[in-house]
Amino acid sequence: MSLIALRNVTKIYTSGSQHIAALSELSLFIKAGDFAVLAGPSGSGKTTILNMVGALDRPTEGAIAVDGVNYDDLSSRQLADFRLHRIGFIFQSYNLIPVLTAAENAEFTLLLQGIAPAERRARIDELFERLDIAELKNRRPGELSGGQQQRVAIARAIAPKPAVILADEPTANLDSHTAAELLNLMRELNEKEGVTFLFSSHDPQVIAHAKRVVRLRDGQLENDVRQPL
Amino acid sequence: MMTLTLAWRNLWRNRRRTLITLIAMSFSLMLVQGFHNLSFGVYAQMIDNGVRAGSGHISIYRGDYAVSRDDRLTFVPADLPQKIAALPGVDGVVERLYLPALAQSSRESRGILLTGIDPTAEGLVNPLLRRLDLPALLPSADGRDALIGSRLLQELRLEIGQKFVVTAQGADGELASELLFVRGTVESGIRNIDRSLVMVGRQRAALLAGRPDAVHEIAIMLNRPDESGAVLQRVRALLPPGDLQAIPWDAAMPNLANAIKLDYASQKFIFLVIVAIVSIGVVNTLLMAVMERLPEFGLLLALGASPWRLRAMVLCEALLLGLIAMLLGSALGSLLTWYLTDVGIDLRRFLPESMEFGGVIFDPVLRATWDFEYMLRMAILMPLLAALAAFYPANRAARTAPAVAMRNS
Repeated sequence: MSLIALRNVTKIYTSGSQHIAALSELSLFIKAGDFAVLAGPSGSGKTTILNMVGALDRPTEGAIAVDGVNYDDLSSRQLADFRLHRIGFIFQSYNLIPVLTAAENAEFTLLLQGIAPAERRARIDELFERLDIAELKNRRPGELSGGQQQRVAIARAIAPKPAVILADEPTANLDSHTAAELLNLMRELNEKEGVTFLFSSHDPQVIAHAKRVVRLRDGQLENDVRQPL
Repeated sequence: MMTLTLAWRNLWRNRRRTLITLIAMSFSLMLVQGFHNLSFGVYAQMIDNGVRAGSGHISIYRGDYAVSRDDRLTFVPADLPQKIAALPGVDGVVERLYLPALAQSSRESRGILLTGIDPTAEGLVNPLLRRLDLPALLPSADGRDALIGSRLLQELRLEIGQKFVVTAQGADGELASELLFVRGTVESGIRNIDRSLVMVGRQRAALLAGRPDAVHEIAIMLNRPDESGAVLQRVRALLPPGDLQAIPWDAAMPNLANAIKLDYASQKFIFLVIVAIVSIGVVNTLLMAVMERLPEFGLLLALGASPWRLRAMVLCEALLLGLIAMLLGSALGSLLTWYLTDVGIDLRRFLPESMEFGGVIFDPVLRATWDFEYMLRMAILMPLLAALAAFYPANRAARTAPAVAMRNS
């Protein structure tokens, strides 16, 4: 059974009298434990798919289900709750909250889940050790490098143990060395802990690290290949 | 706790903007508290002067004398003044008889209000007579000695020691006259009083009216005017059955009460304008802070925060702003009140020495009085006002579409 299922999904954006089809009757299925990348040029529909899988946006037509939950049946409040417990996000520009420290940023989703302070701190300490950023806990995002910020963002995404982590161009703002480090780290999390990753990227380095590459063009599936590593 | 931490840190992201808003809110609270206390002090002084020279904090009249001024509505107080004087909270009791009359000197005649007083008791409470040696000027209650208003003295072309005749209608409807001697003058600063006042011993006035021992008014002064409600009940319990009525000062002196009400209403309007301007400032600050952070609100929603949490966060920022303004504004308001209580505002350079308001003279040095209850009410209003002003910005934050906000980040 698929962890993520998109069935005949169409997404049309309206701007004034113009209608732009970002996705056209696209079907895609991602299994639990996958490490897949949505590849394609700008405007091919990568971010649109991530937004809809991440319950940030709704399709114009078609159905989306993640972890057996169909979004059609959920209110915006329930969608927020679904995101909180099942989805982890990693963004191109890190998107840490500037007034919180690194540890507070990583802790934020756990706090929203209502997890007790002691357990929150223990989980964050362990994650920061694993991600090699333990000494950065009390720094604000403005005091961290891009790579360090993205590590904090990864800690924030995996701390609540979501069903899937959606990463939108996660290495776009990083140098190739830092990008490779982070990709290895995410791959390790995928293999050792079975965390499912779905990326969007046109970075060859990201595509090279993926187990599965889904190529998109003009909102449609161009090809879908599994690649040996 | 995280919501509070986030709100506090967000508040200081733009220090200058937050500080300007805080200063505006605090200064507004300072002005509202300080100038209310000034009005409170000036009104209290005016009321005190007014009631001591006039009706007292509580007055006893027969029938509707307070309204009709029908000079037939006299009564004999018997031992009522002594009983009232023994009540707790009573500072002094004076009895007065008022007679509309005609005063004639050898050269002029004028309409006057002849007031019969008990010189010793009156001298203790009446601010108009404070500078006069009343027992020396009016040594007995039935003597022919009189005090007259300073303007009346000029208009009758009289001098101290000279005689004049007062004519009034007696109880039987016949005109009666008495010869009186000018022993002193009263200068209240109020034109109407100074050109119509003649004061004599109460028994002399009662003889002229043909109503021995009668009075029109018992005026009761209190130690603490704020206890007038309780004392009024005790006084009413002492009244004999009949048509005697005990009423508070604002019913006995409606002109003064209405003048104060009108003046305070206009001040309240100004306070309201200040509060409205502050609210607009708070809305502006919070709305700017929210609009700048829309992508961040989108992020929080994407991470799983509910719209209510975002509302709570913005409201929390507003409440913190209001609480700081409450503390800072109250501190400044207390300093201003302290200054206005201690030093006051001296209007003598700008205005004549005595000023009349609502028929009462007030001191040209305006001084405040602490009204802690009002200060507390206005202080509590600050966070409430800030929370109310945050309503629209908070809703705007909660209505953020996460995908759109993230796209624009």
